Amino acid sequence: MQVSIVRNVMSDNLKRILLEACVLIAFGALFGLTINNRLVLDVFAGRLVPQHLIENVENELPENAALVLPMPVLLDEVQQLMTEGGLLVDARSPELFEEGHIEGAISLPLVDIETVLPDFSRRVDKDRTVVTYCSGFGCPDSFDLGMQLVEAGYSDVRVFEGGYPEWRDAGLAVAGEGQ
Amino acid sequence: MSRVEWLFYHLCRLILALVFVYAGAVKIQDVVAFAGHVAAYQILPYAMNYLVAATLPYVEFLAGVLLLLNVRVRPALVAIGGMTLVFMAALVSVLLRGLDIDCGCFDPAGGEDVSAGVALLRDVGLMALVALTWFMRSRLTTRSAKCETRGEKTLKAR
Repeated sequence: MQVSIVRNVMSDNLKRILLEACVLIAFGALFGLTINNRLVLDVFAGRLVPQHLIENVENELPENAALVLPMPVLLDEVQQLMTEGGLLVDARSPELFEEGHIEGAISLPLVDIETVLPDFSRRVDKDRTVVTYCSGFGCPDSFDLGMQLVEAGYSDVRVFEGGYPEWRDAGLAVAGEGQ
Repeated sequence: MSRVEWLFYHLCRLILALVFVYAGAVKIQDVVAFAGHVAAYQILPYAMNYLVAATLPYVEFLAGVLLLLNVRVRPALVAIGGMTLVFMAALVSVLLRGLDIDCGCFDPAGGEDVSAGVALLRDVGLMALVALTWFMRSRLTTRSAKCETRGEKTLKAR
């Protein structure tokens, strides 16, 4: 009799502890989602260029200026553009590019843009479709590089905001020393 | 429970608390970098890496704070133990697939890389600490309950 009472009490205790642990996890997760709601919504809605970056650019432009922004593209669109002669451009540092990059991409590091852009402009036609990428959602370099290319006169610039991580995780062809 | 055991319990609790408060806090500082580390494990669909990165550090931090405050210790231990088991499963999968990645356990924004093997050993240590703290806490609780029962009996006898 006493043993079964002890067992019942222990079982109730364990249930209560597990329930409290679930509440703790749910509360923590909910708190995290509340704080990072913008990032998570951007990722799940496929809004490839984070909204705050676009707002920053809009604020910097004069009111009457034509708003020309690099167009965001999804993974399957990037593949399509590649087959149609589009050029993939890696905005990350040369070290990261050497370590691993999308096969067929060329390096145009944003950190050295002033040095490398003149040579890039000489080699790549202004009307060619250029797709920039960097280290995934939240990485602003691809968007910033896209803006630099638009300013340099490129008429069809796209941003693949999923970047190298999304491409690699999809099992598509990559190149570099780390591969 | 002797004084030594009591001190040992609080030492284990505080070590776990500080480890998880620190781990959670550094990841909260740079959620996007942490998402990159989660993506490197190549386990989840791409967008899910961001969901994990946006929530997991807060659960770690909250569980650590509860341990630090010595409040809801066993629920916090269950949460920490559960998370550590999931980390261990992910690290074993990394080792089996031969991926050479940084575990991203403590400093997603940079610093020294920690291999999956080392991270797995560390997680084994953390699990042992969780089990030890749970055991000591249960002893402490049982002893308190016994003392209360004895006290009630003494009062009734009077």
